[in-house]
Amino acid sequence: MNTVMKQIFFPLLAAAFVLSGCKNDEVKADRLPGQLNLSFDARVNDADFALNTDFRIGSATYRFDRLRYWVSNVALVDDEGQEYRVPGSYYLIEETSPVPVQDGAFVYPAKKREEVSIQQLPAGTYRKIKFSIGVDPKYNDNLSLQAGELSQLNGMTNISWMWHTSYIFTSVGGTLTEATAGKKISAETGLNTNYRSVEFDLPDPLSISSGNTGASVAFRLDVAKILEGLDLNATPTIGAGQAAAMSQLAGNYTRAISLVNGK
Amino acid sequence: MGNRIYLVGLCIGLWVSACRSSEPIAPGAEPVRLSIPENFPPPLPDDDNPLTRQGIELGRRLFYDTRLSANNKVACATCHQQALAFSDGVALSAAGVSGTALLRHAPALLHLAWAGNGLFWDGGSTNLESQAFAPLTAHDEMGQDLYLLEEKLRADPYYPEQFRSAFGQEIASGLVVKALAQFQRTLISANSRYDRYVRNEPGGWMTASERQGLALVRQKCQGCHAGALFTDNLFHNNGLDSAFENRAHDQVYLGRYRISYREEDLGAYRTPTLRNVMLTAPYMHDGRFGTMAEVLDHYDKQVKHSPSLDRLLSTPGNRPGIRLTADEKKYITAFLHTLTDEAFVKEESFGRPPGP
Repeated sequence: MNTVMKQIFFPLLAAAFVLSGCKNDEVKADRLPGQLNLSFDARVNDADFALNTDFRIGSATYRFDRLRYWVSNVALVDDEGQEYRVPGSYYLIEETSPVPVQDGAFVYPAKKREEVSIQQLPAGTYRKIKFSIGVDPKYNDNLSLQAGELSQLNGMTNISWMWHTSYIFTSVGGTLTEATAGKKISAETGLNTNYRSVEFDLPDPLSISSGNTGASVAFRLDVAKILEGLDLNATPTIGAGQAAAMSQLAGNYTRAISLVNGK
Repeated sequence: MGNRIYLVGLCIGLWVSACRSSEPIAPGAEPVRLSIPENFPPPLPDDDNPLTRQGIELGRRLFYDTRLSANNKVACATCHQQALAFSDGVALSAAGVSGTALLRHAPALLHLAWAGNGLFWDGGSTNLESQAFAPLTAHDEMGQDLYLLEEKLRADPYYPEQFRSAFGQEIASGLVVKALAQFQRTLISANSRYDRYVRNEPGGWMTASERQGLALVRQKCQGCHAGALFTDNLFHNNGLDSAFENRAHDQVYLGRYRISYREEDLGAYRTPTLRNVMLTAPYMHDGRFGTMAEVLDHYDKQVKHSPSLDRLLSTPGNRPGIRLTADEKKYITAFLHTLTDEAFVKEESFGRPPGP
């Protein structure tokens, strides 16, 4: 081997070694990566979800000021059963009024975000998609580890939750009018025990290839289903002290998400 | 040929680091292994935040830097003073930016490399890194807006380069707490007269009273103040109160119950170490006892019954507590003085760093 070849060969070998280090994230050498867009459309039954708008759910009228939740650890399973886990996939899906952060020391601005774009997805034909609602224990137990969009600065941590060392996994709130008018409600999940995962078979195989940026999977989140079985009139705040209600709420998110289409 | 060996070595290094679950060390940062005294158990692994010389140095600078607070007047060291084994000498400090009294007593900082069962008096914080976000941001402690903190540190001549050399990354609040944790894990006190005594080292003498005190502590106190670290790192209701009804302030008065929501954890708080205890008055999670004499009197005579009282303190058919004679209290106190580590409170590398 001449010197020039050595100079090229060994760095290439090094790169191959690094890439093959983690088997599940393997990129097949003959297929270049592509892009996949995910969308999460918030609904209340058949209506589009909106802030500061009255929605009738059951016997009560709700007026929401926020809906925020983590979608994390996205994985796709291809037609050979190989699972590709999207690295650093922690996405904050939200439609929110301004959020006071750190007791109001500063404010996270009003925001609507329902779309996620995954880059560098290995080309292939995928048949199944998996993800979680919340933050897995490794990152939830250590707020200093940074990955994806996890941050102390986006109002998905606060002093109360820091006492427990947990991100807020999901947060929905606003006012409820039933027996009394305009009762403040806040329903949050957090803590490792309320980390939930979902998976969906794709109705049609999803083909990802380089240069194709149109691949997408659309989900729908029904807020009416999030609140199912909870009595927010009696328990207007669901937090760490309401373990049973929080567990129910966490489970509700998995049932409230449905796959609309993948193409 | 030399090149080839180097590259193969590099390949293996990269491959190993690509799959290791622990966080990688920044290129150029020098790994540090804590030097553990022979009478201590091994510390916890530091995979998520490996110690480096640069990280520890950065953490030390941050620990003493008042710019970590909203009014630029409060540092970690304000309430964790080296001369007092990193405690503050007051029951409920009002040194925070709000000037109002805290709800709990500032604990001494030592042996955090072994603190594997949660931080805070109720153990709510899972690790030292996550713990730091609470004092940094709480309105009655440092009250620091974390966005602004990053800006303040970026404007400093020292920090940007030091963050790069410690972590290979630009300034971020997650790295601030990592550096603070690295420095705090170096706070090891193992050169008290007692330590020299158990290690048969020069200067390791103990008087007869002190030895009697040691025997009494092992007999009557080590149910909680166990082992070489003089703590079991667990949570106990030690009979300070008989009822737990005040649910104010996020249930801060309910002890570990606030975290676990288990009735048996009502009024239970973390066992503090006895090491350097004669420097860390006042005592208990709320600093209610000003002196060691009051503490010993409490265990002797004032332990209050409640359903969650630790069973180590209940004596069926009798008043709860640990009976202690006046002489026994004298011996125990004499022994506790031998746990004071002058080298620890004077150790230069734990003190305020030189420079601006």
